[in-house]
Amino acid sequence: MTDDLGRRDPRREDVTGGLGVGTRDVTALPGDRSGNEPGALVVGTGTAVAEPLVVRNDLWLPVDPAAYGGGRPAEITHLAELEHDERQRRDDARWSGLLEVIPTKADYVIDLLRANSLWPLLSGLACCAIEMMSFATSKNDIDRWGAFPFRASPRQADVLIVAGTLTTKMAGPLLRLWEQMPEPKWCVAMGDCTCSGGRYKRSYSTVEGIDRIMPVDVYVPGCPPRPEGLIFGMMKLQQLVKDRRGHWPERAIGPTVPADV
Amino acid sequence: MDRALKARLESRFADVLQGDVRQRHDQTEIRIAAGSVSDVLRALHDEPELRFVVLADLAGVDTGREMQVTYHLWSETTRDWLRVIVEGLSRDDPRIPSATFLWQGAEWMEREAYDMFGIIFEGNRDLRRIYMPPDYTSFPLRKDFYLADDAARSPGAGVRHMERTHDPADAGPAPLRTGTGT
Amino acid sequence: MATTASVPPGTHRSTDDPNVLIDDEYALYEPIPPYPPRTERELEFYTPGDGQLYLNMGPQHPSTHGVLRVVLKLDGERVIDIDPVLGYLHRGVEKLCENADYHQTISQVDPLEYVSSLFMEWAPVMAYEKLLDVEVPRRAEYIRVLAGELNRIASHALFMGWLALDLGGLTPILYSFIERDEIVEMLAALTGQRMLFNYFRIGGVNGDLNHDFLSRLGDWMSRAVNQIEANLGLLNENEIFVRRARGLGVMDSETALRYLWTGPNLRATGLPFDVRRAHPYSVYPELEFDIPTRSEGDSLARYLLRVEEIKQSLRIIDQCLEQMPDGPIMAKLPRLLRPRPGRAWAAVEAPRGLFGVYAISDGSDQPFRMRIHDPSFIHLQSMAHLLPGHLLADTMAIMASLDPVMGGVDK
Repeated sequence: MTDDLGRRDPRREDVTGGLGVGTRDVTALPGDRSGNEPGALVVGTGTAVAEPLVVRNDLWLPVDPAAYGGGRPAEITHLAELEHDERQRRDDARWSGLLEVIPTKADYVIDLLRANSLWPLLSGLACCAIEMMSFATSKNDIDRWGAFPFRASPRQADVLIVAGTLTTKMAGPLLRLWEQMPEPKWCVAMGDCTCSGGRYKRSYSTVEGIDRIMPVDVYVPGCPPRPEGLIFGMMKLQQLVKDRRGHWPERAIGPTVPADV
Repeated sequence: MDRALKARLESRFADVLQGDVRQRHDQTEIRIAAGSVSDVLRALHDEPELRFVVLADLAGVDTGREMQVTYHLWSETTRDWLRVIVEGLSRDDPRIPSATFLWQGAEWMEREAYDMFGIIFEGNRDLRRIYMPPDYTSFPLRKDFYLADDAARSPGAGVRHMERTHDPADAGPAPLRTGTGT
Repeated sequence: MATTASVPPGTHRSTDDPNVLIDDEYALYEPIPPYPPRTERELEFYTPGDGQLYLNMGPQHPSTHGVLRVVLKLDGERVIDIDPVLGYLHRGVEKLCENADYHQTISQVDPLEYVSSLFMEWAPVMAYEKLLDVEVPRRAEYIRVLAGELNRIASHALFMGWLALDLGGLTPILYSFIERDEIVEMLAALTGQRMLFNYFRIGGVNGDLNHDFLSRLGDWMSRAVNQIEANLGLLNENEIFVRRARGLGVMDSETALRYLWTGPNLRATGLPFDVRRAHPYSVYPELEFDIPTRSEGDSLARYLLRVEEIKQSLRIIDQCLEQMPDGPIMAKLPRLLRPRPGRAWAAVEAPRGLFGVYAISDGSDQPFRMRIHDPSFIHLQSMAHLLPGHLLADTMAIMASLDPVMGGVDK
């Protein structure tokens, strides 16, 4: 189980048939933590348990004050010591009730359905669009993941894969596209230009990363990223969808970069 | 280098040329003033022993002191590219006759020169911004257009050679541009 | 938006119905035109006639050319006039090149026409070599031609797929991408990158031919002709495609010259103008190839011409492989390049037309002005001449046959 440098390969344990379905996320990197901290920037990968941010749910209160645990905050299942433990993910997909809602098995299946048929919106802006097309066509076929129909209309799309440089002139239309997409929706920033501005960071007419205008779930760096890289990003997105770790349903996170940077 | 072309140009345009006809590698360069643009271009296009029918490029240039417009032309009569540099356009109000009377395809190139430099092409029926949004007020490719956070003008600039701009007088910190154009 | 022409009596408009809530904000959001027209042409375009409407094909639309916005003035289904709006991908490449080293500008110009990156690098590299009086070794020149022609084949294969996609056929683009993926993997073995190659250097190329590249190339060449014939047979013999593309967007050679067309679009109108023969550069004088020309000037001619060009490119690649000389692949140059003050223009025959770079040096280590002339920019301009009179469904087909790439159009 150790390779010739004496390292243990964490992915070799408990890998079940499909990718991501099962006990272990094969796309996870060692520093990843699947979890329910929508507002917290994860800094550092230490094993110390961070103080969880509990956002009280004021939007909806049950009629019976004793229901759903009687108003106690639900147990946080996301602890570092449980990470490599089987108890982390249970069959009914119970997750820490920051919103104090307990999803049922139906929700788990619905998440699986959503993840395996993410329909992207055709929003190829520049060079990354060619690699996105390449990722959709024969050799790297995204149809294997159910994402073949690139919808032309934002009303019918699930994922907005922003591929290409975002300019200030295009920022308005792109934001309008994002707002036109109905929920649930996710956003993938493909390429260096959308992640951070890339090679056009000092330019007068580009936006330095689309996270200045819209919430992003997956960043796929590269200039352009290889189709295999984008496939990795989509698989990561599928895992996010199943974990409910993306920006939906807990939305309005805002840009991860302060506006005055 | 086509010496015969140089002789032909010097004999034909002797009165409007400003300076020598320069030649280097496969390019011949002539310089004229803005007033003679229409005549020179028409002569280059129509005359049977010049026949420069292909306009390969129309570029605006900001030399810091003045503005220039450069045309690159191709003819089947010579092996060289011909470069026509129209110099002497002032930086405050650069005006030059349009080349759209000869080549309709020059229209967008002139729009781009206007958008980037502010050069007004008289006779272009559609002189508006092409790249920047229509309410943009600056002309980006001018030499006095700097971004607010341009690394070249920060106090730490000059440490690496790439961080210096061309004008050594502009080594100080930049004032924040509020968007009022030149 | 409907005009203010007279409405027949008895018509009930939704704006008159008090029970219908109209969101006025949508009208303010982006009216057409967004500001009062200022130029003659704008006035002419934005003055609607009787029963004409403006349709905005916005910056995001299913055609895969990138972000181009076209405002169409329609009379029913027929296009009367168009107003293309560019700039949605303007990244300021020329300004960025003024603040970068000469070597850095080579990677900056790659994403201009991203499907034919090597030609985007070739022109500035030639311009800088003229400024520096550098002579490129012959092996490097042959490698440049070889890689460039491979890129041309990939670009034309992609054109075929896009043209079919815009005419409604979803299959040929899959075949295009199979071709392109093979060629691009070859170039990745040579240059290290699939798309924005960053391979040409001032004075030569970055890396020599290696075994991986040559074995892939040899393998591909042995079946290239048959494979390309089979792929193109999808379209050449497809009656729907031929009947739709024939007679679409006809341009005659006089008008094409006036609109400064170059490249395959111009050759499809009858003029055999090819920069590789009109103003030879690199080692093209030593290579034997024909310049295919067609005289019809419609979309089908533009398509068939590019098919012929693929075959000529294969011929050039064969000759390059036979005549490849030995020697260095890069001239000896100092690391920090400071050319003498001067100006240089260089133009290459990119798959879309004449791609030129005008570089001005002021003696420092950064170019003073780096002007990029892109062929797609010029070809899009003539859309206002080609499109009127056609139906709405043909607009994207004509645009696809002109083969624009918005990265180059918008710089």
